[in-house]
Amino acid sequence: MTDKKPLLEARQVFKGFFGNPVLKGVDIALHPGRVHALLGENGAGKSTLINLLSGALQPDSGAIAVDGRPVGRFSPATARAAGIAVVQQELSLTADLSIAENIGLGAFPRRFGLIDYAALHRGVREVCAMVGLTEPLDMPVADLALGRRQMVEIAKALFRKPRVLILDEPTSSLSAHEAGILAGVIEMLRDRGTALLYISHRLNEVQALCAHVTVLKDGGVTADQSLSGIDGEGLVRLMVGRETGDLFPPRPACTPGAPRVDVTGFSAGLVRDIAFSARAGEIVGIGGLVGQGQEDLLLGLYGAIPAKASSAEVSGKSGLPADVGAANAAGLVYVPADRKHEGLVLPHSIASNLILPSLGRLARNGFRDRPAETGLIADLARRLTIKGDVARPVQALSGGNQQKVALAKWLPLDPSVLLLNDPTRGVDIETKREIYLMLRAFAAEGRLIILASSDTPELVHLCDRVVVLREGHVAATLVGDAISEEAIVGAAMGVDRKGAAA
Amino acid sequence: MKAVKSLFRNPPLLTLVLVALVWLVAGLTLSGFGAYGHLRYLLELAAVIGIAAAGQTLVILMGGIDLSVGAVITVTAILVPLISPAWDPTGLVGVALALTIATGIGFLNGAGAAYLRVPPIIMTLAMATFLQGLLVVVAGGSAVTVSNPAVLLLGQARPLGVPAGILLWLVVSAAVLLIIHRMPIGARFLALGANPLAARLSGVSVARNTLILYALSGFFAGLAGILVLGMNRQGYVGIGDPYLLTSIAAVVLGGTSILGGRGTYAGTIPGAILLVTTTALITVVNASPGWRSIMFGTLILSLLLVSGREARR
Amino acid sequence: MSAVSSSGWLYGAIQSRRNRGLGGLYLVVAAFLVLYVVLFPGILSVGGFSKFTQNWFPLALVTMAQALLMLNGGITLAIGPLVSLGAVIAATTMGGVFGVPGGILAVALTGLGIGAVIGVIVAQLRLPAIIVTLAGSFIITGVALLLLPRPGGFIPGWLSTGLAGHTPVAFLLLVLILLLWKVFLATPLGLGIYAAGDNPIGAFRSGVPVERVKIAAFALSGLLTALAGLFVAAQTGSGDPVIGAPFTLNSIAAAVLGGVGFLGGKGTMRGAVCGSLLLSVMINVMFFLGFPPVAQYIAQGLIIVGAVAVPELLKQWRARR
Repeated sequence: MTDKKPLLEARQVFKGFFGNPVLKGVDIALHPGRVHALLGENGAGKSTLINLLSGALQPDSGAIAVDGRPVGRFSPATARAAGIAVVQQELSLTADLSIAENIGLGAFPRRFGLIDYAALHRGVREVCAMVGLTEPLDMPVADLALGRRQMVEIAKALFRKPRVLILDEPTSSLSAHEAGILAGVIEMLRDRGTALLYISHRLNEVQALCAHVTVLKDGGVTADQSLSGIDGEGLVRLMVGRETGDLFPPRPACTPGAPRVDVTGFSAGLVRDIAFSARAGEIVGIGGLVGQGQEDLLLGLYGAIPAKASSAEVSGKSGLPADVGAANAAGLVYVPADRKHEGLVLPHSIASNLILPSLGRLARNGFRDRPAETGLIADLARRLTIKGDVARPVQALSGGNQQKVALAKWLPLDPSVLLLNDPTRGVDIETKREIYLMLRAFAAEGRLIILASSDTPELVHLCDRVVVLREGHVAATLVGDAISEEAIVGAAMGVDRKGAAA
Repeated sequence: MKAVKSLFRNPPLLTLVLVALVWLVAGLTLSGFGAYGHLRYLLELAAVIGIAAAGQTLVILMGGIDLSVGAVITVTAILVPLISPAWDPTGLVGVALALTIATGIGFLNGAGAAYLRVPPIIMTLAMATFLQGLLVVVAGGSAVTVSNPAVLLLGQARPLGVPAGILLWLVVSAAVLLIIHRMPIGARFLALGANPLAARLSGVSVARNTLILYALSGFFAGLAGILVLGMNRQGYVGIGDPYLLTSIAAVVLGGTSILGGRGTYAGTIPGAILLVTTTALITVVNASPGWRSIMFGTLILSLLLVSGREARR
Repeated sequence: MSAVSSSGWLYGAIQSRRNRGLGGLYLVVAAFLVLYVVLFPGILSVGGFSKFTQNWFPLALVTMAQALLMLNGGITLAIGPLVSLGAVIAATTMGGVFGVPGGILAVALTGLGIGAVIGVIVAQLRLPAIIVTLAGSFIITGVALLLLPRPGGFIPGWLSTGLAGHTPVAFLLLVLILLLWKVFLATPLGLGIYAAGDNPIGAFRSGVPVERVKIAAFALSGLLTALAGLFVAAQTGSGDPVIGAPFTLNSIAAAVLGGVGFLGGKGTMRGAVCGSLLLSVMINVMFFLGFPPVAQYIAQGLIIVGAVAVPELLKQWRARR
């Protein structure tokens, strides 16, 4: 660590989308031979910062500097030329091409203008050995499981012989063994003088690997310091920066009512043959690592994807809803995690979005009842404190307000079961608090709330009961005092803990 | 300045102003253009395009496209003379049958798109090709003359000096505007066009609305076919071909986004008139079909360039 | 394992993997060819084989042109008009001062140029390919009609006999074009077409110049289409401004039959070429069995819908079980 000059820096970068600031003056400096952790809650601006550092986006103001010199027009091509490689959460692979071609894509060795398959083979064999990929190199990526694809993605980054390597949640779909191999690779690269940026929700990994940390919150840097001498709790304090008690409403003693959802032998998408039941007045959390079937459980109950069950009773009706319309009619509603693509019609007005599920109910003689619609919209906007003109396109709203619209549009249906998928992702603290209060109030009114969340504190402090999924099966059901971050993470990772598994 | 800006933000109004300008300039410079008879003739031509574009507007609002409009027009124009029963003095039975068939064709398009997951553009293109072959087999390629009184009345009558076709167009316009702006299904079409996934998860049935939509498109194309037949008194293979691209062009001219989710039939109406007017002017200058084809293509392309800029964001 | 042999191993292994999933198609094509030989043994003579491949050749070319774009996540509705324009330009320029070479060059440049312009509009302005090519198809038709309002023009007799006589020149040309495609696919640009079609964002992040790849795909597609027009002109001995019309739908039908998907990145060029062969054999069989030419249209409509719908229905049926 004699060379103190950072290889890659962001200097006071600002970036916004549709007028919503996402990054508000962020600094970060990546030094050679150091693993730098980037922490922050969902929606804090991590992905945007990565996109700026890799040239996929341009900052609105501020600069990206390579080797201490600011670069004017930073593109993925110039980033690559500067030796910057990124392993994104969303894979950059082409399903029908082979492992070797995918690893070489964009950086093929050439001879006479053609791809030099001999050189490609040599290079690919080397990086595959590093990450333990033993599959035949001619195998199409489509044939690989998600975790193996992630390893191909990592091999692809290594193939570019990066001076700076950015890893965004690289272990979210890896097995413990694969994660161990990756940790070894990271240490080796660090010792060779590579600058690494490591983004992960798994604080034990961060502690084990990283020497320095930058914490983002609501688009600003709240900490930029060495990690030496900081333990797990210290990390959490850095990230949260407040007592969690402020955020969550008090949890009254749970007095569940009649069963609202009761399925056995339930399969949908990744979910395989599970039993699940929940009662009116409960908030039931669904936890687990990313992509273990949480979303499919909700979508299957909602009739949005094909599902089957050996026995099912949903909202007082026997059998699963056949489609979304039937689910709505039975009093089930769904708020998706990806509100921009699944929850809202972004270019349409706030009013159109709020009224969409109620169109049929408000119609009289086949025609829309405009005064009734206007009244309802005004009422919803007031109840959820959505400020301003409802004729504005919903994409002009901040993430938190968009989420309120996605939730509010269902209220006129007086739903008895609310299926929520990560409802606070990318939502500011204030709105989070409002949403939590609202969910508590819903439960008190006797509604059932099923809440899938990637935010573990949310599961711990808001839910009456937490079901942890792992590989499509129920790994644990935690009730009351048994709900803790350790118990949830342990069950999610497949660690057997006494008293936790039910 | 502000007025100009807001004008550009309101494509239907912009198109209307353009039409007025073109009519004003052409009426002052070209003798005979401003005559009542000529303008009425232009509106009569625009009525066919406008009615054919009624279904197309709905389909494009929902993010699809109907390439079978021309073929459906031809089908009705040829079938009405063939299937109108002799015992029916009003001719309404033949018209009703033909419209049912046209609606049925649209319904099949919708079924293909909704259940077989064939992309609408391919489904309707294949349907158009299929119908083209079937018609030659059925009708044998020769022109058929219509004697159906209802059809002739529609094509030739001029109550109070206004051609019946224009009156029909007024009725269709009112109906389509009601569908889009005053009925729940119109809002659903728009939501599906802008974000099908979000609309589906909000309880909007994709299959149901797709079926209704393409059936409506088939119905309006059939209506246009009957009007064309009445105006021409003859039906032949290929009579509907010119209306495919013009129906799309009228929609795009009216400021409706080709990507779906944004627009209104209120723009398509002046769009159809503008299209007919420019075609008439081009014909005055140069009657070559080659130039006309180039003009159509360029018009659509330049409109795409103008409207596409906004859609990109 | 030495470097050279390992190179041969990797390339060969990847190539043979690409046949996966095409076995059924190969079987169907082979069965239809056998049926054809049984019905019309004349195909086994040099003349018969030549005639058969001459009917197939332009369809194979436009199918490649269409598949190239579909693999890249696009589509073109301008195939037919561009075939016509190619034929018209061939028929109007070959009698000029630069003769046949000048004519071929003019056709090739026109195809490349028009394709590139469409590609720039689609890629740089991010407009949907389907509607841009629909508008483009009318402009191209108009230009063809202006150049040659009714069928005519001049194609030297020796060129017609050379390309469409009793020798299998067309077949050899097709083999040559397929070899050139193989070479192209072994360049970063060629593989970029697949990558940008399947996962454009990922390809962009990996450093594939996605927009340039798209423009190149449209330009190459235009070149192949215009050359098909040149061949059609040689076949008929004249230029015809609307002769290409059936090729638009046929190219889509053949590509879909060959397993090329609408959403980009799915499918193979060898599958598409087999699809064109299959369609060509079907059309020939229907023609020889005495179906009226319009029955082709009916069949094409059904084939396209069937080729898309059957796999989809199978998928749904499997998902239900």
